[in-house]
Amino acid sequence: MKKNTHYSTYIYWAMGFFLALFLAQCGLKAISVVVPKSAKANERVTFTMKCGAEPRIQGGGNYSTQLLAGIMVPKGWNARKNLTMSFTSPKGNGTMRIIPDSELEPVSGLSWHQAAKKMFGIGPNLVDDMEWIVFRSTQAYSFVNNEDIDFTVKAECNVGAENMLLSLGFYIGSSIENLRPEDTDYKKFTFSNAFEVTDGEGDLIDFINPQLGTVQPVKSLDNDIITLTFDAGVTNTVLDQEAAIYLHVKAMDASGKLIAEIKKQTADTKLSDIGGKKYRIDIWPRGFFKLDKDVHIARLEYFYSDVTGTKSVGYGNTDAPFKYTFRCD
Amino acid sequence: MKIYKILSWPLMLALCWAINSCKDELGNIPTEESEKDITGKWQVTQLTRNGEDLSKRLTLDNFKIDFNADGTYTIADNLPFVVSGSGKYRLDDPQYPFSVVLSPAEGKADIVLKFQFPVVKGKRQLSLVMSLGCSSNTYQYNCERLNGGI
Repeated sequence: MKKNTHYSTYIYWAMGFFLALFLAQCGLKAISVVVPKSAKANERVTFTMKCGAEPRIQGGGNYSTQLLAGIMVPKGWNARKNLTMSFTSPKGNGTMRIIPDSELEPVSGLSWHQAAKKMFGIGPNLVDDMEWIVFRSTQAYSFVNNEDIDFTVKAECNVGAENMLLSLGFYIGSSIENLRPEDTDYKKFTFSNAFEVTDGEGDLIDFINPQLGTVQPVKSLDNDIITLTFDAGVTNTVLDQEAAIYLHVKAMDASGKLIAEIKKQTADTKLSDIGGKKYRIDIWPRGFFKLDKDVHIARLEYFYSDVTGTKSVGYGNTDAPFKYTFRCD
Repeated sequence: MKIYKILSWPLMLALCWAINSCKDELGNIPTEESEKDITGKWQVTQLTRNGEDLSKRLTLDNFKIDFNADGTYTIADNLPFVVSGSGKYRLDDPQYPFSVVLSPAEGKADIVLKFQFPVVKGKRQLSLVMSLGCSSNTYQYNCERLNGGI
């Protein structure tokens, strides 16, 4: 009996060593992407991911898996409706399908799209209005030892109607490996250089350069909880030496009529210091302005001020207010 | 040695009989899933927006929901929620619910909230998922029962 226990210990050690060796020596190459510098609003654009597989299977045998590819784009592009992905490789070409929301990534217990966002984040973008969308090849492919190949994945989608400057995210993975946090061999991701959408609607939405004042979520209604952030590190302002920053805000309806204004410097209007010369305040506008049921805010106009309310900073460090329009599309 | 062999047969038979009788007993234990009871006053203890935890940034003290035994609900005035005021509620399936259906008293259309009812640290937790404004923004409210029960 003792002898058997001894042997089983050796077997477990050997299995662990084999697994470690297998994981350490097999995987995907680094990913590179080809992204145009700009595109016109609503234009259909192709983004290209180049990657490769390097199967080093200890002891021979096959490694069979499906190809995963993901892209991170602004939610406003509605890319889930028009994104397509396909790949070319020496093992054959194929199309890919979006992984259904109902299918959970086993490690995180989230949908694959949510799991990718949790794992890879939003890269160099400063405003989180992004979504990851993960596709999977319709076929599985088998690899034998040292069968190195390079492959290319093309993602095509419409870029949306708004002017914006952002960084896009890209992911390549292997379906049987899931999104294990400790794995560095089977999930490769990268973020693009700046990509601009031009000739579209509205002012430029700049996701990657620091802004004096931002609102998250980028798209919301007055019943959402919104976060207003003041980044005093962007430029010198009259509030540089102030220990406390306060919000002075007006709520307007769709016709531009003033519904309510809050300009007192109280605990409710004080921003929290979150370090790095950044301050933020979370508000639920309907509760913050104590709105009646039938009243709806269309737009906010706001300033950041000191404790006396005499010094204030507006859009672009001017006397003009920051503006935020409530909308979903 | 012979004695062991002779004794081992009756022992094996006894063991088989014992296992078999256990099976019968286990088979008699009712396994029907109980109906889920969400009645009570629930306090929001964790709130996330698009996966970002806002719990420590908001004052949650007044974020309360009452699910009353008579099938009505009341949302606290200060709670950001998909509906306001009061109305009637029901679970889509009393035994295996996936959602809570709210019928506002104002006569608006029914609201279906994704629902989970896990036991966390020995206490029932009510977890509701909804969009307060834009559908692109998802909020998850994790609540604990205030009036004692699990």
